[in-house]
Amino acid sequence: MKKLTQAILLAATLVTSAIPALAEVVIVVNPKNAATHMTAEQASQFFLGKSAMFTPVDQAESSAIRAEFYKKVADKEPSQVKAIWSKLVFTGKGSLPKEFGSSADVKKAIAADPNAIGYIEKSAVDATVKVIATLP
Amino acid sequence: MKMKPLLAMLALPLAISSAYAEDGSSFPAITVSGFGTAALTRSNSDDAEFVRPNQVAGVKKEARPGVDSNFGIQATAKFNDWLSVTGQGLVRKNVQDAYIGEMAWAFVKAKVSDNVSLRAGRIGLPVYMISDFRNVGYANTMMRPPVEMYSQVPLESIDGADVVYQTSFGDTSVTAQLAVGSTSEKNQAGYTVDAKKMTSINLVAENGPFTFRFGRTDTKITVEDSVKLNTVLGGLRAYSANPRLEAAFGLKAAANSIEVRDTKASFTSVGLGVDWKNFVVQAEYGKRATDSLSIADTSSWYTMFGYRIGKFLPYFNHGSAKQDSVRAIAGLPASGFPTAPTLALLSAGANSLISQAAIQTSNSVGLRWDFYKSAALKLQIDRISPENGPGTFVHATPTFKGPVTVFAAGIDFVF
Repeated sequence: MKKLTQAILLAATLVTSAIPALAEVVIVVNPKNAATHMTAEQASQFFLGKSAMFTPVDQAESSAIRAEFYKKVADKEPSQVKAIWSKLVFTGKGSLPKEFGSSADVKKAIAADPNAIGYIEKSAVDATVKVIATLP
Repeated sequence: MKMKPLLAMLALPLAISSAYAEDGSSFPAITVSGFGTAALTRSNSDDAEFVRPNQVAGVKKEARPGVDSNFGIQATAKFNDWLSVTGQGLVRKNVQDAYIGEMAWAFVKAKVSDNVSLRAGRIGLPVYMISDFRNVGYANTMMRPPVEMYSQVPLESIDGADVVYQTSFGDTSVTAQLAVGSTSEKNQAGYTVDAKKMTSINLVAENGPFTFRFGRTDTKITVEDSVKLNTVLGGLRAYSANPRLEAAFGLKAAANSIEVRDTKASFTSVGLGVDWKNFVVQAEYGKRATDSLSIADTSSWYTMFGYRIGKFLPYFNHGSAKQDSVRAIAGLPASGFPTAPTLALLSAGANSLISQAAIQTSNSVGLRWDFYKSAALKLQIDRISPENGPGTFVHATPTFKGPVTVFAAGIDFVF
């Protein structure tokens, strides 16, 4: 019961508090990837399970950058994204993107997979990844 | 395929992992995920029970969890980039008045290319727009798929294979699915429906906030062990041996028109989904057509409008189902004769067999609240108006009359 109360309190907080404005978010791929540029709409296809051409790499579920990314790339709340993936997962049509705890880990995953696509703060960009889109 | 619930849940991941335990060198990556709904449902009538399609028992005035609650667990073993095995166990009340575990699906999937994947085993039958995830409350806006539409075809899975082709044209992504196979499902009324030579086409085009869907399923249906159908068929055919009765009433033709044996049946449907800014729309229209009057031709549709306000999503739905084929066989006598004392009863039996389709409309209002990550609270009130019979309700008393109000509250979760 205490947990439920906490959950309701937390939910109430989430409803009332807007997502804090963050630094610019960039979409990155492996330097070996042939893609040079992508629209937000195109990138969202991989992160919403509509295309399997690239392998999406996600940030931690409760991270602020994740909420901001989905808001900017597809105008969706984390719960909407979760509902969309639930459809794919429980029909066996797709599996959730792998999650990583930090932008450093996301970069490592992308550097290791020529097919991967991810998103990080602009300030975290280095030579191990290639930027193909910047989200305003 | 029926298993005890607990056993089903335990067996699923174990069955998959043990199959590869011998390999030793490299274990496949196994992911386990699950979904469920804990809900209470009640109505304002004790004269009939409200059910989901194919449930044998439902709710009356007393609130009970059986109609809208379920629990599913799914395990996927990924062997490499292209080969995986997935199994899903589902526990719910369906054709028996108890929580029974069933193997919803279990298939091997091979990703042939970035665009094409093949699956073989037991897979979801893509009859409707939300066929595949109708039991996953969290993936849906409404408390339950509209009963008018989703009672048209109670078959949920197909044993066979499918091919899924996914491609993009600019910003439009297109998914084409073709499934072939057969299935055999027990009906809540006690008989078995065998669907053979089944083909199911599912075309989905998505562009930004819009989803368009076309579906067409064809099959040959045989109904086994229906006491009522067999009694009426046997009776009509016995009387048709009498030349005078046969000449007067066309009993052979009447019997043939209600028989369900290798009967051609199809379901054609279109769907629309919109998720634009705060507006959410979901609509489907479907037509069932068969060569037997016992499985009536029907049309059904629903349209849902929702408007998202932060984590709240209030919605309204209107659903409708009607029968397109006749509800009485022309020419059958309404009264008996000294030489055929039970013919009137058989006529009544035949006419009741061909008027079993639900004729009904309903209006529903509801609210989805994403109150916590991976969990949503839903409230829904339906005002259901059956016509010319009990509609989608079961165990109706002879005096049952709508409209009926149904109340439901539940929490959907995924993990």
